[in-house]
Amino acid sequence: MVSLAHDIAREPGVEISVHEVSHRFDLEGAPLPVLDRVSFTARRGEFVALLGPSGCGKSTLLRLVAGLEPPTEGVVAADGARIDGPDPSRVVVFQDPTLFPWRNVRDNVALGLEAQGLLKQRGARIDETLRLVGLENFAKALPHQLSGGMAQRVALARALVNDPDLLILDEPLGKLDSLTRLSMQGEIVNLWRRAGFTALLVTHDIEEALLMATRVIVFSERPASIKADIAIDKPYPRHRDDPDLVERRREILGLLGLDASW
Amino acid sequence: MSLISIEAASAGAAPTRGLPSRETLTRAALAIAAGAAWIAFAFVTRHWPDAGEWGRGEELAQAAAGFGAALFLAGLLGGLWPRGAERLRRYTPWLLALGLFFILWQATTAKLALLPQPFFPPPHALVEVFVDDWPKLWESVVASLKLELLGFLAGAGAGFVVGVSLGWSRAFGYWVHPAMRLIGPMPSIAWLPIAFFAFPSSYSASIFLIGLTTGFPVAVLTWSGVASVNSAYYDVARTLGASRAFLIFKVAIPAALPHVFVGLFMGLGASFAVLVTAEMMGVKAGLGFYLQWAQGWAAYANMYAALLVMSLMCSGLITLLFRLRDRLLSWQKAEVQW
Repeated sequence: MVSLAHDIAREPGVEISVHEVSHRFDLEGAPLPVLDRVSFTARRGEFVALLGPSGCGKSTLLRLVAGLEPPTEGVVAADGARIDGPDPSRVVVFQDPTLFPWRNVRDNVALGLEAQGLLKQRGARIDETLRLVGLENFAKALPHQLSGGMAQRVALARALVNDPDLLILDEPLGKLDSLTRLSMQGEIVNLWRRAGFTALLVTHDIEEALLMATRVIVFSERPASIKADIAIDKPYPRHRDDPDLVERRREILGLLGLDASW
Repeated sequence: MSLISIEAASAGAAPTRGLPSRETLTRAALAIAAGAAWIAFAFVTRHWPDAGEWGRGEELAQAAAGFGAALFLAGLLGGLWPRGAERLRRYTPWLLALGLFFILWQATTAKLALLPQPFFPPPHALVEVFVDDWPKLWESVVASLKLELLGFLAGAGAGFVVGVSLGWSRAFGYWVHPAMRLIGPMPSIAWLPIAFFAFPSSYSASIFLIGLTTGFPVAVLTWSGVASVNSAYYDVARTLGASRAFLIFKVAIPAALPHVFVGLFMGLGASFAVLVTAEMMGVKAGLGFYLQWAQGWAAYANMYAALLVMSLMCSGLITLLFRLRDRLLSWQKAEVQW
């Protein structure tokens, strides 16, 4: 009941605005520009997919939004307040599950609550979240005993247990086999629809972006700039053979300069 | 009663009765051979007159005969208790080899005096030391263990703290790293003459030297462990709201523990050398001192006995460390088995 009161107390989700953000890496003295004047706003509760060729700088953008690094230029803000560091209301699911190998599944999921000193207050959420991702029977398992899909589910639970306002997904399904990938795409959408957080998904899989997101932002090659911002106004569950989606897919392939190859 | 009938009787629910399997015969033969070797050893010890004066030959012969008879019987009746016989099977090749080695040792020392005397005492001379001088040996073991543990724990603790600080703080590294590079690789024994007058007692000097020897590898490996922690672990923890203390104690240190244990293992091994040297040079107690004393009195049997006890002690301490590692790092797939 504590969690219910918590949910009623505030509206889930957050508005993320990226304003004129440019970013450079310093590689042995030579600046490497990765983001070029990127601006967009993800509204409260939106599911935005950031799509682009691999290595274009999308993941860097996510690190800026998560507050892991400050942008070289421009401002990233959450509900109007500048983001200047990481915060547990904005959690990241990385491409690798990066579970702590010395902690069992349950203790990995408990990580955020433990770090914030909320273990006693909201410990019940841990088992709840494990059930949500279907791993209640693996609470005592160690990470090296899990399959890739299960490990990524644990990483998802580790993020969701904090009731985030923003879920940042950095190609979380990129290394999974295609069947696990399909089922987890549906699961993540369901979790998002139930909880109502804002979601940012980085992917280079056009189909994944079209199946999951309410909006797809297409990036150019590095340094990344926005090429197109496409609303996907379709009810869930979506089907990959939907003619509208097939049309959108063709359109995006064209934007990425790949229309000739398929 | 023949072997075959025992085997058939004990086979119980086994589908095929009659001739015992090849493994069963080997198992029984090995135990019987080992038993025979020990009985032969007892016989040689008891009935072949010694070329010199050594005590406790009678007791040794009795014990060896008893042990050999037990092995012999176990070989004959092993079928009655298959699980025990199977466990014994793992040791019988070693027991057989040991029995033969003891016969050879006995023959070349006490009986034929082929090996120069008194530098190579026979087995029953060692038995004499263990039976007659055990209070002094035991006292030495306790003294050695106490000194070793004091030095090792102090050194490991200090090395761990230095290693974590080196991995975490740039300012600390700036000052400590050069000093460590200069002092660390030097053998601690070189400090011995200075340590013995710089410290109030040779005992405290020895604790310092053992600690120094242990601390260096522990510090270096803890440092490299902390430095090599996957930065993604820190990213994950930071986005989940981790404080600096959380990053050190709940991320860096557990992730570095496998390295720390390599350092502890190296430090422990190196510290034994310092322990024995310190005991020989200044500390008037412990196994090193016992060895020194035995050499002074040309008590060679006592020296071998002390060496045997020392190897058991060092091996026991290393085993203990590995047990601790297995317990703390059970999340890893174990690599080296001790």
